[in-house]
Amino acid sequence: LIENKWDNPMQFVLACVSYAVGLGNVWRFPYLCQMHGGGGFLIPYMLMLVLLGVPLFYMELAIGQKMRLGSIGAWRAISPYLGGVGMASVVTSMYLCLYYNVINAWSFWYLFHSFQSILPWAECPVNSNLTGPVEECERATPTQYFFYRETLDISGSIEENGGIHMGQALCLLLAWIIVYLFIIKGVKSTGKVVYFTATFPYLVLIIYLIRGVTLHGSINGVKYMFTPKMEQLAKPTTWINAATQIFFSLGLGFGSLIAFASYNQYNNNFEKQAIIVSMVNSGTSIFASIVTFSIYGFKATFNYESCLERVRLLLLNTFDLAEDTISLENVNHWIAELNRTHPEQFASLGGRLETCDLEAELDTAVEGTGLAFIVYSEAIKNMPVSQLWSVLYFIMLLLLGMGSMLGNVIAVITPLSDLKFISVLSYLVGLVCLFCLLLGLGFTTRSGNYWFTMFNDYGATFSLLFIVLIEVITVCYIYGIKRFEKDVEDMLGHRLNCYWKIMLAGVSPILLIALFIFYIVNYIQGGTPTYQAWNKELGKSVVTEYPPYAQAFIGLLLASSVCCIPLTALYTYCKKRNLASGKRERTVSTVSA
Amino acid sequence: MLVRILVLLYLVGAPALAQTLCQPNASNGYRVRISIKTALGNQAYEWNENEMFLFQATMAFAMRRYYKTETYNVDNIIVCNQTRRVSFWFVVISPENPTMLIPKADVEKAVSALTTRLPCRPMSNSMSRHRINNAFLLTDRTLEFLGIHPTLAEPVNPDTPPWLIVFGVVIGAVFAGIIALLVSSLLQKRRKEKGMMEDGQDEEDRQMKGVENGINLDGIYNRGFTDDDRFTKL
Repeated sequence: LIENKWDNPMQFVLACVSYAVGLGNVWRFPYLCQMHGGGGFLIPYMLMLVLLGVPLFYMELAIGQKMRLGSIGAWRAISPYLGGVGMASVVTSMYLCLYYNVINAWSFWYLFHSFQSILPWAECPVNSNLTGPVEECERATPTQYFFYRETLDISGSIEENGGIHMGQALCLLLAWIIVYLFIIKGVKSTGKVVYFTATFPYLVLIIYLIRGVTLHGSINGVKYMFTPKMEQLAKPTTWINAATQIFFSLGLGFGSLIAFASYNQYNNNFEKQAIIVSMVNSGTSIFASIVTFSIYGFKATFNYESCLERVRLLLLNTFDLAEDTISLENVNHWIAELNRTHPEQFASLGGRLETCDLEAELDTAVEGTGLAFIVYSEAIKNMPVSQLWSVLYFIMLLLLGMGSMLGNVIAVITPLSDLKFISVLSYLVGLVCLFCLLLGLGFTTRSGNYWFTMFNDYGATFSLLFIVLIEVITVCYIYGIKRFEKDVEDMLGHRLNCYWKIMLAGVSPILLIALFIFYIVNYIQGGTPTYQAWNKELGKSVVTEYPPYAQAFIGLLLASSVCCIPLTALYTYCKKRNLASGKRERTVSTVSA
Repeated sequence: MLVRILVLLYLVGAPALAQTLCQPNASNGYRVRISIKTALGNQAYEWNENEMFLFQATMAFAMRRYYKTETYNVDNIIVCNQTRRVSFWFVVISPENPTMLIPKADVEKAVSALTTRLPCRPMSNSMSRHRINNAFLLTDRTLEFLGIHPTLAEPVNPDTPPWLIVFGVVIGAVFAGIIALLVSSLLQKRRKEKGMMEDGQDEEDRQMKGVENGINLDGIYNRGFTDDDRFTKL
C-alpha cells in the first residue's frame, strides 16, 4: 500500500498519540500510583520509560518505516524464519479487536443513558410491590446495580450462559460501524479522524481537572495520591508493574506501530516523534491520575460525610437530643460522651453505629472497568449538573477507546492487505469488522463479562512480552545491530547514538527477559486462575475459580499467538529445504534458457 | 347537684383521662419526629405551642378529609411526651366518645398518601400527607410518622426508553455519514474518469518522477543503489 500515506507527519504523530493514550492511562495508571506509594511510583515509572519504553517504541517505528509493510511482511523481510513474529502480533491484535470494542459499547450505553433528568445509576429502582428499592440494589450500591444488572445483566458465574443483551448488542453494532467508517479509506480517513480523537480527550481532561479540583474534598484525594511512600520502592512488584505499565501503555508488540509507520515517508524523522509520543503518553497518565484522584477525593469525602450524617441522625433519634446539639464536626466527640453517660442505651445501638473513616474510603483502590464505570459514575452522580459531566466523561472514554481501536484494527488490516487476499480496501475492512462484530456478540451475553475479563487478563499480556522479546533479539542479534544502524542512517541521515545502541542491544533485552521470567513464575505460583463473579444475593463480587474448560481456553489463548513463532520458523525451514532440493534439479534447465 | 359534680369531674378528669390515653408506645398512637433544622437550615422556625396547635389542626383536617362523616376538632388530637429532638406521641380520639381511640390502621389510612415529587394535584383525599408536609414546609424524611411508610412513587415508564431515542439519532447520523462518503467517492471516481481521458499523459509523467518529502525531484529513484541486504542470505 505505497500510495496510501499520511498526508503529513502530524497525522502520524497524532495517530500514535491517539493509539497509545487509551483507557489504560485513565484507569490503570492511577490505580498503580495508589498501590505503589503515590508520588514515589513516578521514579520506577520514568526509569522504565527511559530504559524500556522509548527504545522499543523507536525500534518498532524504524522497522515499519523501513520495510513499509505490515507486521507479517516486515518481519518476514527481516528474517524469513521469524515471520511468525508478525503473525503472532496479528493474532494478538485480533483478540484485542474482539474484546476491546465491547468497552466502547458500554461507553455508548452509559452515554445514551446520561440524557435523562435523573441519572439511572443515581438511585435504586423501586421493586414491583412499590414497597422499597430492589433488593439486589439495596445490598449493593445503585451504581454497581446499574452496571452489573442493567448494563450487563450478569449471571452468577462463567458457566451460566444466557441470552444476548439486546441493548449491548446494538451498542456494539454502533461501535463497529463507527470503526468501519473511520478506517474505510485506510489512513486517508484515519488521518483526518485522529486530529479529533487525539486532541478532544485532552480538552475534556482539562475541563474535568478544573471541575475536579474545585469539588469539595478533592484535595484529600490529591494529597493522598502524591504523598510518596518510599518503602514501596523496595518491593520488586513495584518495578515490575512500572515496566509492564509502560510496555502495555505504549502498545508495543501489537504491530500497530509498525503498521502506522509503514505509511510514512521514507525520510520521516521518527526518532524525534518516538520521544514525543512516549513523553506525551506518560504525561497524560500523570495528568489523568491527578484528575482521577481529585474525583476520588471528592467521592471519598462525600461518602465520609454521608456516613457522619447517618451516625448523627442515629444518635439524635436514639437519645432524643435537640437537632443542633450534634453537628458533623463533633460527632465523634459525642459518641464518646454518650457512651460514657448512657452506656446501656448506647449498647442498644449495637451494630447500627457505623465507623466513618476517610482513609478507608480513599484506600478503596479500583482499576479497570470498576473504576471507569462504577466509581467514576458514582462520583459524577453527586456533582451538580451531573448529566453534563456524565456526557462529557463518557464521550472522553469513547474517544480514548476508539483511538486505540483504530490502531488495533489497522494492525490487523495492514498485513492482510499486504497479502493481497482482497484488493478493494473497503471490502477487506468491512469483512474484518463484520467478523469481529459477530464474534464480539459473545461478550454481550449474560456471562460475557467473565469471558471479557479472561481475554483482558490473558489474551495479550504474556504473548506480548514474548513477541517483543523475540523482536528485540531478532533486530539486534539476528538481523544485526550494525545493519539496523545502517538502515536508520539511510532513513534519518545520522547514525544511532550510543543511547539507542546500549538500550536496544543490552538493557531492554535483559529487562524483558526478567519480566518474562517473572510472569511465568507468578502464573505458576498463582495456582488455579480465578475471577470475580457477581453474587446477586450478597450484592458483591466473590472470587471464583475458573472451570476446567475455561482454563483450557486460557491456555489456548496464550498458546495460539505464541506458537505462531516456532511453527512459522519450522514451516519456513521445511519449505526452504524442499526448495533447495528442488532447485538442484532445475538448475540445468535455467542455464540453457 | 349531681350534674354539677359530674360536669366538674368531667372537666377535671377529661384532661387526665386524655393524658392516660396518650402514652409512649400506646397501642393506637403514633410517634412523630420532626427535623426542622435539617430541612430548612438557617430559615428554620422555632417549634413551640403554636406549631403544635397547627399540627393538631392538620391532623384533625386529615381525619375529616378521610372520613367525611364525623367532625373532628383540635381537641380530638392528643399529644404527649414531647422531647427536645422534637418528637412526640399522638393519639386520636373519636369526637362522639372521648374515651374511644381511633384505631391505628384508620389513622394510618388518613395520614398516608401517595407522596410524589410532582406538584400537588388537588384531587383525591390521598394527598393528605402532602398537605401535612407542606403546612410545615417539610418533606417525608423530615416529618416522620414512625411506622407509616410513604408509598413510593410509581416509576415513570415511557413507551420508548430515552436511551433508545439517543441511540437512534446517533446511528442515523452514522448511516448518513456512510451514505455521504459512498456518494462522494462515487462522484470522485466519475470525475476522475472524465479527467483521465483529457489529460492522461500528464498524470503518468507526474507519477514517474519521485516525490520525496513533498519536493518534486527531477530524477527517478535509481533502485540499483538500494540496500538489498535486508533479505538475509541463507
